Amino acid sequence: MSQPAVLKLHQELRKCFQNIKENQTVWRGVLDECSSLVSSLGNLAEQLRALKRTEIEKTPLGTFPNLPELLQYKLLNAIDTVLNQLREKVNAFGSVRDSVIKHVCAVFKMYEQNSDSLPISTCVARCALSPSISDMLEWLQDTERYYRIQYMQRKNLLQILKPDDLTLLESAPKRWLSLASPDGEERISDALCQVSFFLESD
Amino acid sequence: MDEATSPARKGNLTGSARKLKDNAADWHNLILKWERLSDEGSTIATKIVNFRLSKESVKDPEVIMEGNSLSGAPAEKSAYESNPELEEECIKLQNVVERMAHILSKMEKMVSAERGICKLEAFQYGEKGRPTPLFQTWSTQQFVEVSSKLYEVYKQELALKRTILREVAHTANPDLCMVYLSCWLHQPYIQDNTKILLESLLMETGHKAV
Amino acid sequence: MVLDLVVVPPETSDLGSQRCRLGLVLMEDLGLRLGSPVLVTLQGGASCLCTAWPRPDLAEAYLQVDPTCSSAQLRPDALRGLRLGSEGLRALNCPRVKRLRVTALVRSGEFKRRTSAQEVGALAAELLTGLYVHEKHLVDISHAGTPIHSLQVDTVNSGSHKAGRVTPETRVDVVSVRTLETYQRWERKGSSVPLGGLEEVYVTLKEMLTLPLRYPISTRRVGVTAGRGALLVGPPGVGKTQLVRSVAQDVQAALVTVSGPVVVGSRPGESEENLRAAFTRASEAAREEPCVLFIDEIDALCPKRSSSTGTPENRLVAQLLTLMDGVGSDEGFVIIGATNRPDALDPALRRPGRFDREIVVGVPTLQQRYQVLQCVCRSVPLSPNVDLYSIAEKTSGYVGADLSALSREAVLHAILHSTQGGAGDSGQSEVEEGDVRMEHFVKAMRMIAPSCLRSSVGVAEFTPVNWERIGGLEEVKLKLRQSVEWPMKFPEAFVRLGVCRARGVLLYGPPGCAKTTLVKAAASSSHCSFLCVSGAELYSPYVGDSEKALAQLFQQARACSPSIVFLDEIDSLVGCRGDGGGCRGSSVQAQVLSVLLNELDGVGFKTTERRGTGLSERQETRRDQRMQLQEVCNQDVMIVAATNRPDMLDSALLRPGRFDHIIYVPPPDLQARLAILKLHTEKMPLNSNVCLEDLATRTNLFSGADLENLCKEAALLALHEEGMSVSTVQQKHFQKVLQHFQPSISSQQLLQLQQLFKHNYN
Repeated sequence: MSQPAVLKLHQELRKCFQNIKENQTVWRGVLDECSSLVSSLGNLAEQLRALKRTEIEKTPLGTFPNLPELLQYKLLNAIDTVLNQLREKVNAFGSVRDSVIKHVCAVFKMYEQNSDSLPISTCVARCALSPSISDMLEWLQDTERYYRIQYMQRKNLLQILKPDDLTLLESAPKRWLSLASPDGEERISDALCQVSFFLESD
Repeated sequence: MDEATSPARKGNLTGSARKLKDNAADWHNLILKWERLSDEGSTIATKIVNFRLSKESVKDPEVIMEGNSLSGAPAEKSAYESNPELEEECIKLQNVVERMAHILSKMEKMVSAERGICKLEAFQYGEKGRPTPLFQTWSTQQFVEVSSKLYEVYKQELALKRTILREVAHTANPDLCMVYLSCWLHQPYIQDNTKILLESLLMETGHKAV
Repeated sequence: MVLDLVVVPPETSDLGSQRCRLGLVLMEDLGLRLGSPVLVTLQGGASCLCTAWPRPDLAEAYLQVDPTCSSAQLRPDALRGLRLGSEGLRALNCPRVKRLRVTALVRSGEFKRRTSAQEVGALAAELLTGLYVHEKHLVDISHAGTPIHSLQVDTVNSGSHKAGRVTPETRVDVVSVRTLETYQRWERKGSSVPLGGLEEVYVTLKEMLTLPLRYPISTRRVGVTAGRGALLVGPPGVGKTQLVRSVAQDVQAALVTVSGPVVVGSRPGESEENLRAAFTRASEAAREEPCVLFIDEIDALCPKRSSSTGTPENRLVAQLLTLMDGVGSDEGFVIIGATNRPDALDPALRRPGRFDREIVVGVPTLQQRYQVLQCVCRSVPLSPNVDLYSIAEKTSGYVGADLSALSREAVLHAILHSTQGGAGDSGQSEVEEGDVRMEHFVKAMRMIAPSCLRSSVGVAEFTPVNWERIGGLEEVKLKLRQSVEWPMKFPEAFVRLGVCRARGVLLYGPPGCAKTTLVKAAASSSHCSFLCVSGAELYSPYVGDSEKALAQLFQQARACSPSIVFLDEIDSLVGCRGDGGGCRGSSVQAQVLSVLLNELDGVGFKTTERRGTGLSERQETRRDQRMQLQEVCNQDVMIVAATNRPDMLDSALLRPGRFDHIIYVPPPDLQARLAILKLHTEKMPLNSNVCLEDLATRTNLFSGADLENLCKEAALLALHEEGMSVSTVQQKHFQKVLQHFQPSISSQQLLQLQQLFKHNYN
């Protein structure tokens, strides 16, 4: 009796997982692009720090007029550029997140609408081809939360980075790396793995 | 009037206008070449610095370990001197700088040529120079000014690079090494206005659309 | 069906997911769907809002709760190993939240300073999206790694709903941003001690704090640099520290406490360093929120600078002054010092700009004591026979600390009583099980002496004496009652007639005529503090010591007013100022006399001894009115002196206004003697042949003491003559004693005394 509802939900779930699969690749790609940007950011910060620590007048470069100021200006400019690029990347994360949220929300909405014809016993029923509805919903929720938090953390980190705060800039690559949560990524991959048969059993 | 606005459209220019336009194109090409060389040089310089720094960090424990042994001093010395790799890189960098110097000499020539044109005009039209500009709005004098400004910037930059070349392999201070590298990489004397000067030169001479 | 669930810690993968894992059957029972909200309520009222999910292994008897959104009192470790009935779970209807008001708790003050409320709001909204929130719950979002640690939900949909689900459309208003540290501090402080009787000072202090702390902008606009310091002066135990704490809490200011002795270190420069550190701490806190730096026992920190004290002190004082000057007035930073020895402070400290105001917290007056008692007895089950008012009356000189000790002691007595009495008289204890009764207070009062009388010069322990214990002397008793007891008992009448209480009473009369006993009776009947001075206590080999001791005595007496200072044998104490005839008047005596004269009607007392002004505008019940009147009438210290050599007294002492009443205590007349004899033979088995009337007639000129002695001697004689087993004292014993007995008063002496004040007495 609940078969039509289950089928409908399964359809929606497939769509959603498909979407997550695509978004995961996008996310990874953007993340890769970011890593070089972030490391160059760290590098620039390091250069700026070195410049601040060095007394140019006492070095062979002392004869060059305005060198420290000019160099600092250049470096700050470069940092600004990198930050802007990073901002774009984070916006890309944002769109991934939005897309995931949209799809997950749709699935949950459908579940809530049809929950009267989907008793819990049906929801927890598993078979060889498909995991239980409850498990899948759970994975979706986890994934959504993962992307949500990841996006927020990365955006937040970027927001607090200011060209005049050297210490923060220097620590940026480390902090960026520390945000990576292999666990979360792995959980998404696991989930995708577990639903792979389900996706094919269209 | 038509002489002033038309030459860009006319195609085959003659005399001073021809010369100035060619020079502008040369500026563009030379600066491009310079950038390429600079990039090349910065990779080499990075190698050198990394080499120096890694050696520093390796050397430190060595000194501690062999502090009072007899072999300590010669080992250190060898680390400093007989280093073909480092030398090779240094020579490469020197090459780059030489080629940059060559570019600079070309730039210098262009500046002096433009000065000559200016003098010629002064001779032709008196102290006030040409009554109507050769291209859009610039007087010949302005071409000279722009060129010499560009030249000054690159001259300064070359001097900086020469200094870096001389010092980079002999500095143990990592901070200073870093400063050398960033100086090479970011070319502090080539600021935004340098690029604007070049751009406006190209626009004036009609290489780029306004 | 009630299931007993074992609470197991949540999986790490569920951390921050707000999930609550439970069994399938239970979910069905509760009508829960996947991910529908459920409120988990623990014993003790702590609750936690979760979303229901089945356990992966579908086991029934376990419950895993992720405490992301839980009430503040839920401690994370409270969930460990807990057993919970399934009735603690309840499905909750959670509509979408339109408006949410939250308080953000951030990790660092730096973030709070750098970020605007809007930014925090946006971040909070993002963090909350998708979560279910419940009113008054604390949403822990620390796992997201943002600077916001958690969010406290103030209202959901402006209070119309208890709980709801946050969606991207929810409008999240961040009401205030606080650092986690501050929040935890407030949480810890939670319970405040109510303060009784300090309302006036409280209001003054609060006003002082609120102006610069709460309205910094308007005070700045008016162009007034707000006061930045207040000095609280008052004897120990009146609640200075407590007052500052509660005011700081009331105005929501952080409180940094520095106690003087703790700051002082042995290493050179250490004290200054500690002091600087305290100021830095306070100004650090002041950047967050208004801050009160409270320096307790400031006299230890800032003694008078002088050449005699060591330089370390001087340096410390200088450091304190510099630091106080360095505090910008607009920093939301107020310094409060407290001391009980204001005179020991360096005068440089007590000027506007440093301690702008000095607030005197005095020993509580009668009304204040009543309020304090009401406060400290708030949670004590009082039996109806406890009259706090009469306790307040009897506890003159008690400060707040004493009173709270008193109530504690009374409660202890009550507990002791009920545990002991449980076996004995079960009928009575049944009625008032655990109640604290009046007698417990009376007992406790005996244990706890008023602290402002501790280590005082003239504190006397004496057994209370009834007026009835004194035979005869009805006229004198009446006089004494007039001057001591009436002002206490009939204040209305005194005020109505515009009479004020007598300043001083001088009792004179031949020795042994119950002068001292009379005073004791007066003191015990009026519940005054009773201070008693004798020459031995007062005199000291050091110059100026006696005068100081006397002045201190009066200061204490004033602090504990209403009080009676009793100067026995005043002639030996002060004597007569040397006008040739006063051969006894040494210079010390003359000086003591001058102190006494000054204390009797000096210009006024010092500001630091000020006590409540009694102007509090409260609704006046008859009792309140009475209390006020009583206070008005009894502010002063009453001096009672006794002598048998009134001619030796300086005439300056004897004028009205000093000793208003000069009462002659005559040797007992016939009736009085009879009464005295009756009193003293009360416990004596008298033979029927003893005729007390006869004895009374035969003992003319005998003083009370003589009569007492007579009875005693007669009894001893009886023992001597009849052996130890004697059963009664007979008339012959009295007569035999009387034969050898010389009255201690001679008729000549008596005449002299009677003559002395004839002109102003009669």
